Amino acid sequence: MDFDFSVITDHLSFLGSGIAITLLLSVLSGTTSLIAGFFVALFRLYGPRWLKPLVVLYIDSMRAIPVLVVLVWTFFALPIIAGVTMSPFMAALIGLTVHLAAYAAEIVRAGVESVRPGQSRAALALGMSRAQIVRRIVMPQALVRMLPAFGSLLSITIKDTAIASVIAVLELMRQSETLAGQSFQPIEVFSFAMLVYFLMLFPVTRGVDMFYRRVAHLGRS
Amino acid sequence: MNKSATQSGRTKAGGITIIRYRGVVKRYGDFQALSGIDLDVHAGEVVCLIGPSGSGKSTLLRCTNGLESIEGGDIEFEGTALPRDERELRAVRTRMGMVFQSFELFPHLTALANVAEGPRTVLRKHAAEANRRASAMLAKVGLADKAPNYPSALSGGQQQRVAIARALAMEPDVMLFDEPTSALDPETIGEVLNVMKQLADEGMTMVVVTHEMTFARRVGDWIAVFDAGRIVEQGPPEQIFDAPTTERTRDFLSHLGWTG
Amino acid sequence: MTFDWSVVWQHRDALMAATGTTILLTFATMAIAVPCGIMVAALRLYAWKPVRALATSYVELFRNLPLILVVYWAFYVLPIMTGLGLSPLATGLAALVLNVTAYNAETFRAGINSIRRGQVEAAMALGMSRLQALRRVVLPQALRRILPVLASTWVSLFKDTSLVSVIAVTELAYVAMQIRAQTFRVLEMLTAMAAIYWLLGYPQAKLVDWMQRRFAVTE
Repeated sequence: MDFDFSVITDHLSFLGSGIAITLLLSVLSGTTSLIAGFFVALFRLYGPRWLKPLVVLYIDSMRAIPVLVVLVWTFFALPIIAGVTMSPFMAALIGLTVHLAAYAAEIVRAGVESVRPGQSRAALALGMSRAQIVRRIVMPQALVRMLPAFGSLLSITIKDTAIASVIAVLELMRQSETLAGQSFQPIEVFSFAMLVYFLMLFPVTRGVDMFYRRVAHLGRS
Repeated sequence: MNKSATQSGRTKAGGITIIRYRGVVKRYGDFQALSGIDLDVHAGEVVCLIGPSGSGKSTLLRCTNGLESIEGGDIEFEGTALPRDERELRAVRTRMGMVFQSFELFPHLTALANVAEGPRTVLRKHAAEANRRASAMLAKVGLADKAPNYPSALSGGQQQRVAIARALAMEPDVMLFDEPTSALDPETIGEVLNVMKQLADEGMTMVVVTHEMTFARRVGDWIAVFDAGRIVEQGPPEQIFDAPTTERTRDFLSHLGWTG
Repeated sequence: MTFDWSVVWQHRDALMAATGTTILLTFATMAIAVPCGIMVAALRLYAWKPVRALATSYVELFRNLPLILVVYWAFYVLPIMTGLGLSPLATGLAALVLNVTAYNAETFRAGINSIRRGQVEAAMALGMSRLQALRRVVLPQALRRILPVLASTWVSLFKDTSLVSVIAVTELAYVAMQIRAQTFRVLEMLTAMAAIYWLLGYPQAKLVDWMQRRFAVTE
């Protein structure tokens, strides 16, 4: 078998735009789902009683339905109900956020619940209010404990952006598949795509792990 | 109970009553953790609560600052019943320092920030004032040089001394110690007990749940022996350790190998 | 807007068959990926150094690639490399197995490594052989950590089977979207698809929660 990687160099800007969209979608949906997940978790932990079953239903539903289904539904079906049109990128951002926020919420909840009750008791004994305890004692420790899980969530986010190719978001996966089909050189094109994804994902997982090892003691009570 | 009998040999009974327990009852479901506790803590006194594990000593301590609610009886702090209202209860807690068996230092804060946290967040002191007070308290427990260290870099004994400084920084009227040395290595117990002894000598009112009988004997002004949710005997240390009047006290002390 | 939900009922047979394929894919993948995962984990832990490095590279590579890329890769590249004309189903299965094996290998390795050295030493101090220590002391404890992770991998896998729809494997996502294209009943078909996944996936997610509580390891 002969390999000819000129197909990559010849279409570098085509693939490069895909990489840019992948990164942009990853950063945006990573951020929005983190923020949304944080609020979902607060509702689940401290919200009114009637809200909790709904929050749990939402979280568990997202754990049960494939991302692909959420994305396809958001892009094709949601506009029919909502009466709006959406760009594929927008639909991907919304779909990924709705899906990933559920996972982020579970991470936040687990982090908060893992902080020993003795910590809250000590803060209570100092005369702190519930809100002060959450803000100044529980959350800072929980955030440290959540780091590894957030790292893997970020890597899941990057991987999930590739699924947005099915709703025609012109990110790296989509561009690669188009080029592979047109050039009849799938081995070269997909090898390149694999390399790029690996180079994006591996440092994320490793970087977060290394950072966590340095700060872990701040969350260990 | 005969009043004069209860108070005989109580040298500091003349001071005002800081905490008064009357008929305190605490239940966890069907389990009765405290069944009618009567006890007074006077200003400047060191009251030691001793007795077997699970006899209710720590529970009484946690009821004292409202970390646990009581089902019956009264707890009065400085002449007023413990409030039920969360906000008023918080105000009371600022006047009682508490030290926990497992230290419960905040791991995300340095030693200094741990001690400054209460004055800063609860008493609303300025950062400079809170830090100044925190430095003074760390110096008092002999840990001025550990101010920038995180708890993970401190030994158990050092952590517990920081925890004592953290409670003292609130300038409390009384200090509650919940088995402060039970989680410590034998070689670091002494440094914590020394700090507590020093506090007692300065006239701090203290309620101490402890298994350190030597400390109770030497530093305690008044000893209450707990068993199965009751105080089976209370009195000055000479009485409890040298001439206990009840069988339960004798049993408990002999189990510990106490020989006087 | 008018909706015609009868379209879902009319295509019930096709949807049922497709759901069957989804479930079959899940079972078949796991059935292959568990023994393969154990093998790769064993290679990583006990094999000759170069082999160990190779196994590690495989695990790290596939854990850091989007599955959908692996699916496309298998579809385009496997036939060229092997010279075989694989069916879409076999291709999809191969991609899923490659992916899940990597995850399972990591699960088994981490599970075995999580047991403290002292446990093996204590077993060997009793006179057990290394193999006996592994079988009678390490594995029973490791299993408590491995099972919940395997269960959550199972749920992920169940959902990930939808990704092989991009290479025309006639599982649930592909068939539902085909019917949508033929009937133009977009909302109805896509909602039905989501509902079927939900009905199957929800109890699985709950089961994972239960297992995680049941096998919770307190240290």
